[in-house]
Amino acid sequence: MGLDLKALVVREKTNLESFASKVVAIDAYNAIYQFLAIIRGPDGLHLSDKQGRVTSHLSGLFYRNINFLSIGIKPVYVFDGKPPSLKSAEIEHRKQAKRDATVKYEKALKAGDLQEARKYAQQTTSMRDTMVQDSKKILNLFGIPVIQAPSEGEATAAHLTQTGQAYASASQDFDSILFGAKKLVRNFTNSGRRKLPNRNSYIEIVPEIIDTQKTLAELKLNKEQIVDLGILIGTDFNPDGFERVGPKTALKMIQEHSRLEDIPQIQEQLERINYKQIRKIFLEPDVADVSEINFEPVNYEGVTKYLVEERNFSQDRVETSLNRLKKALEKKSHTLEQWFSE
Amino acid sequence: MTLVFSAKTSGSDDLKAIISAISTLVEEATFVANAEGITFRGMDPSHVALIDISWPNSAFEKYECDNDIKFGVRVDEFSKLIKRAEKQDSIEIGISEDNMLLVTIGKNKKYKMRLIESSASDTPLPKIPYDAKIGLTSSAFDKILGDVQVVSDYLTIKATTSKAEFSGKGDSGEVLIDLEKGMEQLTDISVKQESTGTYSLEYLNPVVKAVGTTAGSVTCEYSSAKPLRIEFKVANIGRIHFYLAPRVES
Repeated sequence: MGLDLKALVVREKTNLESFASKVVAIDAYNAIYQFLAIIRGPDGLHLSDKQGRVTSHLSGLFYRNINFLSIGIKPVYVFDGKPPSLKSAEIEHRKQAKRDATVKYEKALKAGDLQEARKYAQQTTSMRDTMVQDSKKILNLFGIPVIQAPSEGEATAAHLTQTGQAYASASQDFDSILFGAKKLVRNFTNSGRRKLPNRNSYIEIVPEIIDTQKTLAELKLNKEQIVDLGILIGTDFNPDGFERVGPKTALKMIQEHSRLEDIPQIQEQLERINYKQIRKIFLEPDVADVSEINFEPVNYEGVTKYLVEERNFSQDRVETSLNRLKKALEKKSHTLEQWFSE
Repeated sequence: MTLVFSAKTSGSDDLKAIISAISTLVEEATFVANAEGITFRGMDPSHVALIDISWPNSAFEKYECDNDIKFGVRVDEFSKLIKRAEKQDSIEIGISEDNMLLVTIGKNKKYKMRLIESSASDTPLPKIPYDAKIGLTSSAFDKILGDVQVVSDYLTIKATTSKAEFSGKGDSGEVLIDLEKGMEQLTDISVKQESTGTYSLEYLNPVVKAVGTTAGSVTCEYSSAKPLRIEFKVANIGRIHFYLAPRVES
C-alpha cells in the first residue's frame, strides 16, 4: 500500500519547532487512520466510550493538536472526498486484507496470544463515517480549519502548497510528491521512540521534510517523469506496479528512456494498465480551491464538554492538557516574519 | 584552486561572546566571509529572535579572504573548542583543503573540526521605524532583567521623553524600575513617540548574559507592539544586533 519512493527522495531531518507559525496541510485520513491503528489497549482493542464507540482517533487528535498549537504550528486538515474509480482495485484489496486480519485476530485472541492479536487488530483498522464526523467536530472545537477535498485529500493538500496557502503537506504517503506538493513532511509529530507495527522492536521517529524541487533535481527528473516513475513502482491506482521493477530499476528506466511509452521492456505490461488516466489523476488532479483559511480561537469549554461529557474522557487529563495549551498560547511571542516585508 | 581564508583575533573574548550569543538561538550556524570581514545572520527555530553580526576585517590582527565563502558549524562543538582558549590567546580560523575548519588557539594548539553543510537561506531583517531609543550600561541592563525575572517571564519597556520604565507582572506580583534622564545607568534616551513594548525574558536573558560582560553598553530601540532591536557595543566588532518579536498581548 502506498508508493515506495523512500529510497529515492531527498529526505532531511527536521523538528516540529521549525514549523512554528507555518500552515501545514495535513492528510486527515492518513493521520486518523494512524491513530486508529496505533492507539489501542494491550488486547488490541480500541479505546472507547461508555456506549462502546471508538475514541482512539479523538484521543490522537486531541493530544497531537494541542502539541501543534502550543508550538505555534497552524494545522489544516484535508479530508478525502470520493476516491477516483481507478482506486477500486486497491480499495478491494485493502478490504480483503482487513477481512483476513479479522479472522486471524479472533483466532489469536482465542488462543490467548495477545501479542499476535494486537498485531492483527492493527491490520483490521478501518474508518467509519462516524469517526470522520467525530474528527471534524473536535477539530472545529479547536478552531482548526477543515477542508473537504472533492477527491484525494493529498491532491488538495498539495494544491494548497502550490498556491502558497500552506507551507507543506503532511502525510506518510509519498503520493503527495506526485500530486505536486512543494514540500512533504513525514512523521509530523514529536521525535521519539515508536514501536514498529507488527514487530517487537522500536525505532526512532524524527520528522523529515522532502523538498520536491530538490528531489527532482537530485533524480534529474521533471514532474511528469516522477509520475511515470511512480507508476512503474506502483501507486494506489496500479498497486502491483510492474514485474521485477523496484524503485532503483524504475529510476534507471525513466532516466534512460524518459517516459513509459519509450521503455521497451515494459510495453506488454503497460498495455494492461490505464496509465494515461493515472497520469491525469496526479498531474491534473481534482482539487478544492480554498479562498481563505480561517483559524478560530480554541473553544476550551466546548472541547472539555464534548470529550468528557459525551465521550467519557478523563476530566483531569483533558483539563490538564488544555491548561498546558492555554499557558503556551499566552506565552507566545509574535514571530519576526510579519515585519520583514513592511 | 586553493582557497585562502584566514582570520586571526588578538584575544579570545570577542569570539567567545559572539559564539555564545549565537548559541542562545541556533544549533547550527553558517558564517559568510568575504574581503570585508565575517558576517552571521540567523533566527531561532520559531522565528521569534534574530541575531545579525558583522565583524569587519579591521577588527582582526590578521585577515585574508580571496573569495566569498560560507561555512557551517555545529555551534555547541565550535563553542566547546573556543572555550579552550585563555583570555589572552589569539584564535586563528581557516578552512583546510579537505574542507575542515582549522582553529589555532595561541601558538601551539591546533584543532581541526568538521564543518556541516550550510543550509541557511538568506534571512531578511525586520523593517520598522524605531520610535524610542534607550542607551544603558550593559551591567545596568543585566540587573534590570534579573530584577524583573523574579516576578515575570516578560519585560515591559515604556519610554517617555524624560524616563524609561522597566516593568514586569506575574502570578506572584509585579515590579517597576524607573530610570530618569540624567541617571548614570541611562546613557541615552531619545523618544519620537511614547512607546511601550513587551518582550520575552526567555530570549533576552541568555543573550544579554552572553554578550553583556564583553559589551560596555547596549542600545535598545523599539516601537509600541513592534520588535525590539538591541545593539551591543563591543569595541572591535562592527555590529551585534539582536532582534526580538514582541509578545502577543492577550
